Amino acid sequence: MTPSRVRTLIFVLIFIGGLIVGFFGLRTLHAFREFGGHRPPPPPSVAEAEGIETDVELIREWMTVPFISKMYHVPPNVLFDALGIPANKNREKSLKQLNREYFPQADGIVLEKIKAAVLANQPQQMQENPEIPTPPVRPTFTSTP
Amino acid sequence: MSEWLLTQIINYGIPILGAIVFLGALGIPFPGTIIVIAVGAFCRQGFLSWPLTGLIALTCVVLGDCLSYAMGFYAREPILRRFHGSDKWIQAENSFQRWGGMSILLTRFLITAIAVPVNLIAGTGNFPFRRFLVYDLAGEAIWIFGYGGLGYLFGIQWETVGAFLSNMSGLLLGLLILGVGIWLGLRRLRISTAIKESG
Repeated sequence: MTPSRVRTLIFVLIFIGGLIVGFFGLRTLHAFREFGGHRPPPPPSVAEAEGIETDVELIREWMTVPFISKMYHVPPNVLFDALGIPANKNREKSLKQLNREYFPQADGIVLEKIKAAVLANQPQQMQENPEIPTPPVRPTFTSTP
Repeated sequence: MSEWLLTQIINYGIPILGAIVFLGALGIPFPGTIIVIAVGAFCRQGFLSWPLTGLIALTCVVLGDCLSYAMGFYAREPILRRFHGSDKWIQAENSFQRWGGMSILLTRFLITAIAVPVNLIAGTGNFPFRRFLVYDLAGEAIWIFGYGGLGYLFGIQWETVGAFLSNMSGLLLGLLILGVGIWLGLRRLRISTAIKESG
């Protein structure tokens, strides 16, 4: 390799490397800040042990109706009814695809409708630490002489 | 791309995951790390069984790596015809024999963007296949079970972990390119100084 080519190669490597470091460095820093605010969730609660998720803000547009149904324990037909679309042929489509297909004018409407339907139809959240039922105090009868 | 792939994984499960990691190992630019972390979270949520998912993903990714090693190996002949015997070729082959194992291991999970070129170089450079397989298996096991384990640990919060690790992998790649550039620059400077001093 001629000296001028080597010089160009060195320049290109340093320039591209610097760009990548700058770009991903900022993104890593940003992700680290967000990551810092998160801790691994505590050991599964009763609800999680049952596989029930309760926070609807975790629903994403790549999810499908059956996936959400299983995650939040809401029957899929309830969710399809809320959207007003047939379940048939739509089970494998993501919320984004359903939105594009059935509500092309209203961006994000499927996500919002699903969130609302889950909130309205989710089974009552299980208590984290259900109290141990105590037997009722039995009245004592004393015989009076 | 990753959203579409996630939808396919929740629809078709382990076979599609196996196909993704296999094709990724052949150089198709899939966001493998994000997928592996997400799948860990799906296992925690009970959508997939983690031992089976882990084993199949590991098998598929190792098969993909072996295939790309084989591509390098069978492309060896024309490359040898062009470069064999040259000082640069011998130097490159020797350094890969020395550092190849570590390169294979680290590119499986840390700097994943250059995993395929490393496989090809390993095949072309006649790096022993058994050694390649050992380092590859170890690195991919860290990738699948380590990153997947993080997804499992963080459950539904996997997106935050995924964003952090993917960006970090990009940052390491940038640092590697920058490091090679600086190293070459310093080497050139040293050589030219030595020439000046002797002349």
